[in-house]
Amino acid sequence: MSEQWRLLKTEDNTAFTNMAIDKAVLVSHSEIKVPPTVRFYTWKPSAISIGYFQSLKEEVDLEMCRKHGVDYVRRITGGGAVFHEHELTYSIVISEDYPQIPKNIMDSYGRICGAIIKGLKELNIDSKYVPINDIIAGNRKISGNAQTRKLGTVLQHGTIIMDVDVEKMFSVLKVPNEKIKDKLISDVKQRVTSIRRILDKNISFNDVAVAMKKGFEKEFNVELVDGELTEEEINLTEKFERECFASENWNFKR
Amino acid sequence: MNFLFLDKMNSKSIYKVPDGKLLKIFLEYNEKNKSIDSIRITGDFFAYPEEAIEIIEKQLVDNKIDRNNLTKKINSIIKENNIEFIGLNSEGLTQGIMMCLK
Repeated sequence: MSEQWRLLKTEDNTAFTNMAIDKAVLVSHSEIKVPPTVRFYTWKPSAISIGYFQSLKEEVDLEMCRKHGVDYVRRITGGGAVFHEHELTYSIVISEDYPQIPKNIMDSYGRICGAIIKGLKELNIDSKYVPINDIIAGNRKISGNAQTRKLGTVLQHGTIIMDVDVEKMFSVLKVPNEKIKDKLISDVKQRVTSIRRILDKNISFNDVAVAMKKGFEKEFNVELVDGELTEEEINLTEKFERECFASENWNFKR
Repeated sequence: MNFLFLDKMNSKSIYKVPDGKLLKIFLEYNEKNKSIDSIRITGDFFAYPEEAIEIIEKQLVDNKIDRNNLTKKINSIIKENNIEFIGLNSEGLTQGIMMCLK
C-alpha cells in the first residue's frame, strides 16, 4: 500500500487567508502534527501575490487594484508578482528530510513541478519545466512556482492557469520590458497561456484538481487522502493572517 | 538650508541578471565619499533564507561603491550567513549597485 498524504481543497479564500494557511500548514508539519500536505485552492476576490523581495508599489498598480476590487499580498516565498484569477493554485508542504525531496533547491523545484506536468498530462496537455521556476506549454507559461524552506520544511506553491484575462492582468501588474528583453518576445502578453486556450474549452476547478491529484500521486507514488485543516492550523491561520498577511507593515515592507 | 545633506543622492537601478531574475535596487549614497547610506534590494529572485536579504542590506551600509570592494563584501556576507541565491549572484548585485551611480 502506498503512503498516504493529506489533500486539502480550500476554494475561495482571500489572499491573506491563503498565504496564512500555507504558513500554518508549514508550521504544523514541521512539528510533525500533520502528514505531508498538498492543497488546491482559489482566490476570492482575485488577488496579486508578490514575491518576498519585491516592492509592492513597484510591481502593483494599487489604484487599478482598487478599481477592479483586486487584493494584494506579499508571499513568504521569493519570485515574481502573480495575478491570481482563473486558476488552480497548489501548495505542497513536506519535510526537507523526506527521501523523495532533493536537498538541492533547483532539483526539488524540478521534482515538484514534475507532479504538475503529470497532472497537465492527465488533461492531455504536454508541458515541461523550464528553470528557474516556470512550466511552459507550447512555449508559453502555464504555471509559475515558488519555494521556501523554513523550520526544516519545504513549502512550494504555484499557479496552474485555467483562463486568463490578459488585459486585466497587465492593468493591475506593472511589468517592465526589461524582464523579457533577452527572451526575444516583443509583447509581454504573448508569454502566458492557459488550459482553456490550449484545450479550447472551459474546464472546472474540480476537473483540474482531479488531474493534479493524479499528478502528485504518480510523481511521488503516494495516495492523497481528502482531509481538513486541524483546529490548531485554523487558529494559526487566523493568527498569521491578523499579525502578518493582512497587515500594511508586511505588505508594504519593501 | 541644511548643508549636511547636500552630498546625499537617491538613485534606482533596474538590471536583468544574465540567466537570472530582474533586480531593482533603491540606493541612497553619499556622492562625495561614494559610500552607501542605505540600500533596498528588491526583485523576483530567490534567496535562502529569505530574511538574509535584510542582513545584506544592513551590512552594505557605509561601504564604498567600488566594484571589487562590493563583490568581495557581498561574497563574504553570503559565506558568513550561508545564503543561497537563485536567479541572482554577487556579481549581479554589484552590477545593480554600480548602475545606481549617477
